[in-house]
Amino acid sequence: MKLSTYNFLTSMAIKGVKVGYPLKLTITKQNVVESEFNPVFIEKLLPKLDWAALYGAAQVAECAEDIPPAQPDNIADNEALLQKLHHLLFEIDVLEGQLECPETGRVFPITDGIPNMLLNEDEV
Amino acid sequence: METPHTQHLSAADFEHVYEPAEDSFLLLDALEADLPFLDSLQPRLCVELGSGSGVIITALAKRLAHSSICLATDINPHACDATKRTACHNGARLDSVRCNLADALRPRSVDVLLFNPPYVVTSDEEQQQSSEVLVDNPLVYSWAGGKDGRRVTDILLQQLDDILSPRGVLYLLLLRENKPDEIIEQLVKLGFKAVKCMERRIPGEYLYILKVTRSSN
Repeated sequence: MKLSTYNFLTSMAIKGVKVGYPLKLTITKQNVVESEFNPVFIEKLLPKLDWAALYGAAQVAECAEDIPPAQPDNIADNEALLQKLHHLLFEIDVLEGQLECPETGRVFPITDGIPNMLLNEDEV
Repeated sequence: METPHTQHLSAADFEHVYEPAEDSFLLLDALEADLPFLDSLQPRLCVELGSGSGVIITALAKRLAHSSICLATDINPHACDATKRTACHNGARLDSVRCNLADALRPRSVDVLLFNPPYVVTSDEEQQQSSEVLVDNPLVYSWAGGKDGRRVTDILLQQLDDILSPRGVLYLLLLRENKPDEIIEQLVKLGFKAVKCMERRIPGEYLYILKVTRSSN
């Protein structure tokens, strides 16, 4: 699971959960995969991403020193930061770990890079 | 658009995962025919629900190269795994998420949504018992559609407003017995417009692809 995917995952389908976001991420095994850097795409993607969740993921993946806690202005002119965001979002692959619902504590395991977000019938 | 290679999937895989067939290829052909639209849309998040072997989302991910996030969901763990392997084998960048439809995704985030639903007309009992037999026979989930073959599709239609981004588009595969005109009417009531963008007769079935967008667009 790439951290770009993590940015879009929520536990709000659980009955009674209001936001379910961001999920608490734990990484026990991660890989770095090379992926082609497309700065224009990263810049266009940013309005769709949640910066707080992105920054949180950077801390867990131990890239926090690369990413500012708040989204800076004029990011389009900052190729170095776009490159770091690309690395964070598309090159770190979480193989094993878990996601935890911030409201209920329900844990979703990540196994072989696939998060299991399937809920039981009595949870929805 | 290239049809992805599937040699890495064996007969044993296809005991648990839907094998790409005419319906899959029709959805691929419809996407290929609509590439000018997709290129102008510049989607940032593309999602296939019930990705099965993963050939459709892999083909799209390859075509969009590194200019979109591509995700695949399936409730069947074998399908999540097969999709990931298909992506990897074909050099496509995409992630698999095991969940029901788009349940695990942030609301109103999906720019391109693909769905080849379980569309075969069955009894509701056959469709609903599938939740209990998933472990032994997950394939039932890939085709058993209940009354009018519409049980899962109807759930998705009710959720569509919460899934699609403001400029999002859905490509939905349907069988004539699913009553596509009735579905189009239902979508209009829900604030969408829908057109049959491709149709094809295959042995024993007549299939359509509906292209659905928000009527405000």
